[in-house]
Amino acid sequence: MIKRMIVATAALSLAACAGGHSNIDIDELSEARAAVAASKAAGAERCAPKLQAQAVASLYWAAHEIQEGGHATEETELTERAISKANAARTQAKVNCAPKAAPKVVEIIKLSGVNFANNSADLTPESIAILDGAVATLKRRADIKVEVAAHTSSRGAAAYNLSLSRSRAASVMDYLVSHGIAADRLTSKGYGETQLIADESTRAGEAQNRRVELRVMN
Amino acid sequence: MRITLLLFTLFAFSLPANAGMFSTIDDRANQISAQLEGNNSYHAHLARELANVAVEEKGQHDVTAALEFIRMAEDHAAQAGGSK
Repeated sequence: MIKRMIVATAALSLAACAGGHSNIDIDELSEARAAVAASKAAGAERCAPKLQAQAVASLYWAAHEIQEGGHATEETELTERAISKANAARTQAKVNCAPKAAPKVVEIIKLSGVNFANNSADLTPESIAILDGAVATLKRRADIKVEVAAHTSSRGAAAYNLSLSRSRAASVMDYLVSHGIAADRLTSKGYGETQLIADESTRAGEAQNRRVELRVMN
Repeated sequence: MRITLLLFTLFAFSLPANAGMFSTIDDRANQISAQLEGNNSYHAHLARELANVAVEEKGQHDVTAALEFIRMAEDHAAQAGGSK
């Protein structure tokens, strides 16, 4: 008799230890489950991770309390918490995951006279004074962010011109950074021969197209 | 028979304590917290939340639930990939 009782008690203990109490697929949690699924679908794991984690943890905890029984107040509180956290996560995810509008050019500062050695990104000595003026402008207007844009004429292959313009834009940006302008206020972009502004039937027209600008972004 | 049952009951309840289960939940929760310091990913947050539930359940003397929640917390901590 005693042996039987011991075996039965041990078996019951093992069964209790092995049995999980966090099955969330129960009717009482259908609303909370739906709320958590909706917030997950809205990207809350990535865009509102803390709120989503609180919702999921509350859901599992509520499941445990419901299956354990005898804690009606806690069950209700945890279920409501799971729903409210999931709803908050979904709202926050919509805000945090919303695509940001691309920055727009609001002003162009022409750097007339900034030139480079032929087929090179090396600044000519005459360009330095102009770039120093640009440095002063950027220090005075410390709240603006700019794109350093470089253009070439259409002489030569388009791919080569694009590559050259990128190197020239980077060269100007390096100069600005090396003279105290924060790198996070600047980007550089080469446009090659895609944005011509003058007729290239004359040398003067070609020279006009070879240019560097600071594009102030919003 | 009563004495045998009493002894068996005492023995059965002394096992978890002897194995350090009651203090281990806290230790494991602290370990998760330290392991995920600075990590703000979803899995890291969930691991911390579940560890808190485990500690709470242990405080209510539901060791089975505490063990289940701390295991879940450790699973998510592993998915979170450590501290950042």
